[in-house]
Amino acid sequence: MSDKKTVNICCGTGCLAKGSMEVYEEMKAQIAKLGANAEVNVKLKATGCDGLCEKGPVLKIYPDDIAYFKVKVEDVEDVVKKTLMNGEIIEKLLYFETATKQRLRNHKESEFCKRQYKIALRNVGEIDPISLEDYVERGGYKALKKAIGSMKPEDVLEEISKSGLRGRGGAGFPTGRKWKTAADIDTSPIYVVCNGDEGDPGAFMDRSIMEGDPNSVIEGMTLCAYAVGGTNGFAYIRDEYGLAVENMQKAINKAKEENLLGNNILGTDFSFDIQIVRGGGAFVCGESTALMSSIEGMVGEPRAKYIHTTEKGLWGQPTVLNNVETWANVPIIIEKGGDWYHAIGTMEKSKGTKVFSLVGKVKNTGLVEVPMGTTLREIIYDIGGGVLNDRKFKAVQIGGPSGGCLPAEYLDLPVDYDTLVKADSMMGSGGMIVMDDRTCMVDVTRYYLSFLAEESCGKCVPCREGVKRMLEILTDICDGNGKEGDIEELLEICSMTSKASLCSLGKSAPNPVKAAIRYFRDEFEEHINNKRCRAGVCKELTTFGIDEDKCIGCDMCKKNCPADCITGEIKKPHAIDADKCVRCGNCMNICKFNAVKVL
Amino acid sequence: MKITIDGKACEAEKGEFILQIARRNNIYIPTLCHSDALPGLASCRLCIVKVIDRGRAKIVTSCIFPVSKEVEVVTNDDEIKRMRKNIVMLLKVRCPENKEVDELAKVFGVEEKRVKRFKLDPEENCVLCGLCAKACKELGTGAISTVNRGMYKEVATPYHEPSPECIGCASCANVCPTNAIKVVDKDGERKIWGKKFKMVKCDLCGEYFATEEHVKYAYDRLGVEKPEKLMCSSCKKKVTAKDIKSIFENA
Repeated sequence: MSDKKTVNICCGTGCLAKGSMEVYEEMKAQIAKLGANAEVNVKLKATGCDGLCEKGPVLKIYPDDIAYFKVKVEDVEDVVKKTLMNGEIIEKLLYFETATKQRLRNHKESEFCKRQYKIALRNVGEIDPISLEDYVERGGYKALKKAIGSMKPEDVLEEISKSGLRGRGGAGFPTGRKWKTAADIDTSPIYVVCNGDEGDPGAFMDRSIMEGDPNSVIEGMTLCAYAVGGTNGFAYIRDEYGLAVENMQKAINKAKEENLLGNNILGTDFSFDIQIVRGGGAFVCGESTALMSSIEGMVGEPRAKYIHTTEKGLWGQPTVLNNVETWANVPIIIEKGGDWYHAIGTMEKSKGTKVFSLVGKVKNTGLVEVPMGTTLREIIYDIGGGVLNDRKFKAVQIGGPSGGCLPAEYLDLPVDYDTLVKADSMMGSGGMIVMDDRTCMVDVTRYYLSFLAEESCGKCVPCREGVKRMLEILTDICDGNGKEGDIEELLEICSMTSKASLCSLGKSAPNPVKAAIRYFRDEFEEHINNKRCRAGVCKELTTFGIDEDKCIGCDMCKKNCPADCITGEIKKPHAIDADKCVRCGNCMNICKFNAVKVL
Repeated sequence: MKITIDGKACEAEKGEFILQIARRNNIYIPTLCHSDALPGLASCRLCIVKVIDRGRAKIVTSCIFPVSKEVEVVTNDDEIKRMRKNIVMLLKVRCPENKEVDELAKVFGVEEKRVKRFKLDPEENCVLCGLCAKACKELGTGAISTVNRGMYKEVATPYHEPSPECIGCASCANVCPTNAIKVVDKDGERKIWGKKFKMVKCDLCGEYFATEEHVKYAYDRLGVEKPEKLMCSSCKKKVTAKDIKSIFENA
């Protein structure tokens, strides 16, 4: 029997919400009970997010490589007695592979995990985020020591340029070029900023990195400071991310204690410090200039970038701002070299990997890191396991609220910065929301516009008024009040807003509308002209009915109807009373025989 | 250096804004949120122009775009005109009964039919350009600012309460391009932003011309004693003109 085991329990936000702290405490108590003389010596760690939040709390045992999911407090005793003491596997806690309907001892062999390539997430879920030793054990701070010890600042710049790394926040600006602009300016101070204001609905990759591997961000920023002559760093983190703020702060404190941050880093002349600034929850503060205004203590409104922030940013000084995920990539590039990174990704201009948060109507949800150029089909079907309940795939929304929904014809599109823009969508920060045939594309577009209408800073007319009025039209269409000419009016406002807005929030705000009309125009026309919503979402435009040929009379719809409007005897076709129906769609979602349809 | 605006060669300093250069050369670019006395806001977007640099065109805001090289500027081609028309259409939808916006809508040929498609609020006159808040801030009082964001944005005093900072100078109302700020001067009293002020009379013509707080603020800021006789701006002009005349005649 091996005597030394490590138990990792995920204590990221998702698992915490599902009670992983209780599981952790119970495990601690159980291990204590074993006492010092036990045959097994167990080390317990609270780690960051493994990305499989949906299956949490997640518990992993090393070196046996056993992973348990949906672990409850009651299971802990079993885990200790059976698995830790006797090497016995608890079947019911193992990863369930939806495709083969099998349970896997090591989830890393699952379709979800084995197709991923983890670079930015290399440590997340594997280490105790606030333990510097854990980070160092996995190669952390090797890059910083290498850079300070044997590389000149220009060598660091050169490696980053060579790697082809582009900003992971969405716009995809070449990181090396950004750093170089700031490095070429002979002034002080030069600021280094981390954008941790992740705000896209459904996206949580930056949060996971800050919570689960804060040192990778800190090391990345410190390497940049070394390369560009940076003196002060700011990590701007949205205040809702309590655990991220906490773990980043602890990691910063620890790094300072160990002289990896602060004055005279590693005994050299190089000094750099990072301070955390907590954002107030405005989506627009993820825009770099609005973020800088916010750090300066002013209203978070974007400024024109006619003079780049790398020249005049925070308090008018050169500022290098990168997103969390970009920073997390930096140390490993310096450690392994720019050429190594450059070899991953597409042949063209998208190098390395990208983390997506795969959510929505897909079987396996969670964080997914894949090389650039992986197709949507591989992500959604191979990794994601396909559409939930095997419904029909309708669209995938990429790039946050300002991205676009792409239809099934685009499933073989390789995901990279440039192909997505051509398809009227965008990389954004990496949100990926899968939609099935029960999604109304007009309604979804309306939802994104309502988000943007509230989250626009409201400074410039095209964005504030344009988005507001597009939302008005879309709401009318969903309510059955769409008018002839509405589609043309939407496109007219889109074309102006996308060019005349002040910042990229406004410029990209029309994307959801443009993409939806481009790919699902017939659905818009059906809403306006035929007053019908084929997905059965827009209540004013929906009448549900039951297909007598398909209905087997299982009674499921009847039992789940909140309005008691379904009648019919068991084993005989049922019927819906349209007058009493509240159009909630429960019957359609629940029917296993596709018998409920939109008339 | 020289830049070309609509085919006309114009002398320009490096760092100068396109709008400034165009106006100096009598080339008209429409604006709403611009005041020569205040830094550019770039919020109304009416002053957008096209800058062509090495064959590549981009849309920029002329009030804040500094020229750094010899570029070509197009202020009024079909694409720009169409965008401006759409911007004005949106403003007209926001402020359907406002006189200034209506004039713009006529100039740009905004169709009534498009405007009527939307829900209209006849009471709204503010285009949210932010000039008032900027003027207030630059004067040093900062009594009003834009609050909230997105479609809930508005100009207001903190918590919509009468602001203790407000001196009733009405600079906000003076710079407002759409006369959206209500100032009522009556019987020696001024009402603005929910606050009442006592006004002072001009010692020459006897007209009420400023609030007590405004006068005090102005002299405090100047760091000089308040003179015995207060004058309104038009009397002050007359007196100054007389003084200058006498200086010349005596010289």
